[in-house]
Amino acid sequence: MKTSRYLALMWALVVCLLLGHNAYLWLVQRIVPDTDIMALLPVQERDPILQQSFTHMVDAAQQRVIVLVGAKEWGDAQRAADAYSAVLAAHKDIIDATPIDEQTQTDWLSLFQQHRLTLLTAQQDAQLRAQPGQFWVRSALAKLYSPFGGPKLGTWQDDPFGLFGGWVQERALETPVRPRDGHLFVTDGQRQYALLSFVLKVPALSMTAQETVLPLLAQAGAAAHTAAPQSELVQAGVILHAAAASSQASGEVSTIGIGSLLGIVLLMWFSFHTLKPIFLILLSIGIGCLGALSVCWILFGHVHLMTLVFGASLIGVAQDYGIYFLYNRLATDAATDSSTLLKRLMPGLILTLLTTVIGYMGLALTPFPGLRQMAVFSGLGLVFAWLTVACWFPLMIGGSALKSGALVRRYGALLQRWPLLRVNKMTLLVTALFAIAACAGIARLGANDDIRLLQNPPKNLIADQIKLSKLLDAPTPVQYFLVRGDSAEMVLQREEDLKLRLDPLVAAHRLSGYQAMSNWVPSARTQVSRRALIDEKLLNEGGPLSELAAQIGADAQWIAATRDGLRAAGTPLLMDDFLKTQASEPWRHLWLGRIDGSYASIVALRGMESAAVPEVMQAGAGLQGVQWVDKVDEISSVLGRYRQYMGWVVLGAYVLVYALLFPRYRRRTWRVLAPAAVASIATLALLGFAAQKLQLFHVLALMLLLGVGVDYGIFMQEHPDRRNHTPWLAIGMSAANTILSFGLLALSRTPALQAFGLTMLVGTALAWLLVPCFVSSSESTHD
Amino acid sequence: MKRLILTLILTVSTLTQAAVPVAKIQSMLAKPPVMCGRFDQSKQLAGMKKPLASSGRFCVVAGKGVLWRTLRPFPSTLRLTRDEIVNYQGDRVAMRLDAKTEPTVRMINSVLFSLLGGDLAQLDTLFDIDGSVDATSWNVTLKARSPALAKAIGGIKLDGGAYVKNIVISEAGGDRTSIVFSGIESGEAAMSAEEAALF
Repeated sequence: MKTSRYLALMWALVVCLLLGHNAYLWLVQRIVPDTDIMALLPVQERDPILQQSFTHMVDAAQQRVIVLVGAKEWGDAQRAADAYSAVLAAHKDIIDATPIDEQTQTDWLSLFQQHRLTLLTAQQDAQLRAQPGQFWVRSALAKLYSPFGGPKLGTWQDDPFGLFGGWVQERALETPVRPRDGHLFVTDGQRQYALLSFVLKVPALSMTAQETVLPLLAQAGAAAHTAAPQSELVQAGVILHAAAASSQASGEVSTIGIGSLLGIVLLMWFSFHTLKPIFLILLSIGIGCLGALSVCWILFGHVHLMTLVFGASLIGVAQDYGIYFLYNRLATDAATDSSTLLKRLMPGLILTLLTTVIGYMGLALTPFPGLRQMAVFSGLGLVFAWLTVACWFPLMIGGSALKSGALVRRYGALLQRWPLLRVNKMTLLVTALFAIAACAGIARLGANDDIRLLQNPPKNLIADQIKLSKLLDAPTPVQYFLVRGDSAEMVLQREEDLKLRLDPLVAAHRLSGYQAMSNWVPSARTQVSRRALIDEKLLNEGGPLSELAAQIGADAQWIAATRDGLRAAGTPLLMDDFLKTQASEPWRHLWLGRIDGSYASIVALRGMESAAVPEVMQAGAGLQGVQWVDKVDEISSVLGRYRQYMGWVVLGAYVLVYALLFPRYRRRTWRVLAPAAVASIATLALLGFAAQKLQLFHVLALMLLLGVGVDYGIFMQEHPDRRNHTPWLAIGMSAANTILSFGLLALSRTPALQAFGLTMLVGTALAWLLVPCFVSSSESTHD
Repeated sequence: MKRLILTLILTVSTLTQAAVPVAKIQSMLAKPPVMCGRFDQSKQLAGMKKPLASSGRFCVVAGKGVLWRTLRPFPSTLRLTRDEIVNYQGDRVAMRLDAKTEPTVRMINSVLFSLLGGDLAQLDTLFDIDGSVDATSWNVTLKARSPALAKAIGGIKLDGGAYVKNIVISEAGGDRTSIVFSGIESGEAAMSAEEAALF
């Protein structure tokens, strides 16, 4: 008695600490759960450069919000865009527009102009080698005489053969966006769009950003619509996805959490006709959740929203211990005091906790940080709930505090009429039929490891995203080439080798183009050879330049001045100089620079159809230092590998649990495990018949099902006498609640959670119904 | 990029109207559906004594675009339409800008069309317009509104009556181009069969 009081006091102290810590976290530190789906994926430890290249591609986009305001008439689009910007202009501390700066417009070309003799397009390079001098004289004259003869930068003498103009024009084709009337303009031929680009001043993934920025964007959208009712808005940004994901998840947390609680409360009411057990169960669940959150925060420094969603279903399991204790209290005569009762129940209670926690720890074996966190969160939650039952319940519930209701009596009576498996022909027949059906069902199971299982953004966001990348001809951030070398020069040379392989694919329209740093700063090797080529073909004595002078009546002095002017612009352009200019801003994310003693860069691909991916990937094959990166494919393959791996972990867990249970149940151990095992097999078969694709999250649910199912098996085997309704009542209550909580998880719009929920729903129901079939009353019971 | 387009427009920009007399000039201009004529261009390059003379024919067709045929000292044809800008030297295509890949083609086309046709309303956003008008003639000076544009194109002067007669473009680098239009005819007959075939 003294020890139990001492334990209860100690536990009260722990609970006070938890309350304090939680109050501090929520009220003082104002913590916000992570919503970044990428945080759930394994850290790419093998290759830091590869990992960094991906963060580079993603981070470049994270803080951006891109808005296209479109209308049939450019004037309407401009008016709507101005109205949109005007709303946001008042909140520069939250979201700031990227200015279209006049100064950068004039300055961005000057750096290239200083090196124009080393910059040629591939086509010009080929023409210089193939075309006679006369070709160049003619084209120079045409440019001179025609008042509108194509792109012209600076004076005619600066670029008489139009080479630099051609190079700049090719660079301009890297984006379809054009400045027009002080706006950025892009069109799909039907509508004219004004492009607005904003940078968030608050972290895109924070809750504050989502709460403050989204209403502003909505307000701006409304203003644009008022200014031009026909206008169309296309918006994209990480923040929109993050906000959609967190509003979906928080909606689900409350649906699942409240639904589950409501279910528990109602069941309790019908069972006990008093609110005291409800209060006790809620107390154990509440302490479980608070404790799990506290310790998780201390261990990980953050909590992911998916952890909380998954944790919401913890309620369904955390109740088992309390319910088991309460039903036994109900069944035991009032003379036995609660501490003695607890001691009697302890072996069963410890085993149920151990087996369920082992089930969760199986999840912790995966390399997915998100799953590890969910496993730790759930495992801890159960331990805290269990300790609350063990330390507090005996003191809080007296001998005659509980009465049973009518529902309990009627349900309890069912047990005696439940079919029981005996060694006879009927059993053999049922077993054989089940085996055949199970094999047929499981054989139908396909597999699905698509990354989209993890995230399910609203359709309109996806549609906007697709439209935007089409209009802007933007490269995909998840499939690209990573190029490495010992020096910046080597990286650029390797990029150029790769581009030679990609050019035929661009010509065949498999790709619309590529973005690469070497487009802007060619390797020194290429720059030197191009300069030499121009010297040899155009500026030579008696060559096209002299010929041109003769045709326009210019003297030797003019020739010398023009030649010197060109040659002065013949020093190679350096990467560092380019990176320092404003002009490099849109491309800087492609250059990873020096990492761990080597250099790396990204060659991004524009307008690539998914059908063209194998061909494009093949183009880089065999090139030294060139690596194809496909993040989508990589994540899918990780999901696939761990689906198989987890399958083995589940089997291993059965063996482990069997070993744990064997010392207590000996030859009856299989009866404890059988309901979970049979329910799992039947669930897989049903999924097969329902044409579901097996994915990692089905397998993870089977792991949890083992823990839950074994609980039921233990409750039942602790009291094998069929006349004793207590375990049957406890199982019924806890299974009904588990089904309520996981059943609601099956309503989640995230496919992964849905799969998990569905498996638990079907599996738990089956385990519940199967448990009485495996009871053996003929064998001796232990004390 | 911006500079490129601006320069394109610039190279193209020739004509415009003053803020004050715009409406008056508009009312004086004939604006026929088809108009062809002769042009004489004289280009004075910085650092060269002799100006470079060229001449040829031009056509402006409402709804289609502009044809600019240099005949002397050697033939070179520029055709500007809604969808593309093409430069022919003889039969060879020396340059082509496609509106699909270069959306500004449409803009350049409309600017040039309004310049040669005298429809100056669109140029107001790019240029400050100043000038004077009397009973039969007008002249205007265009100054680029943006510093970037001004840096590339010093200024443009135009004068005319029912049609544009003279255009003088002074580039920032010191080059100067003056174009004189003459023998302007309007109506379907103004266009030769050869020219019509090019559209």
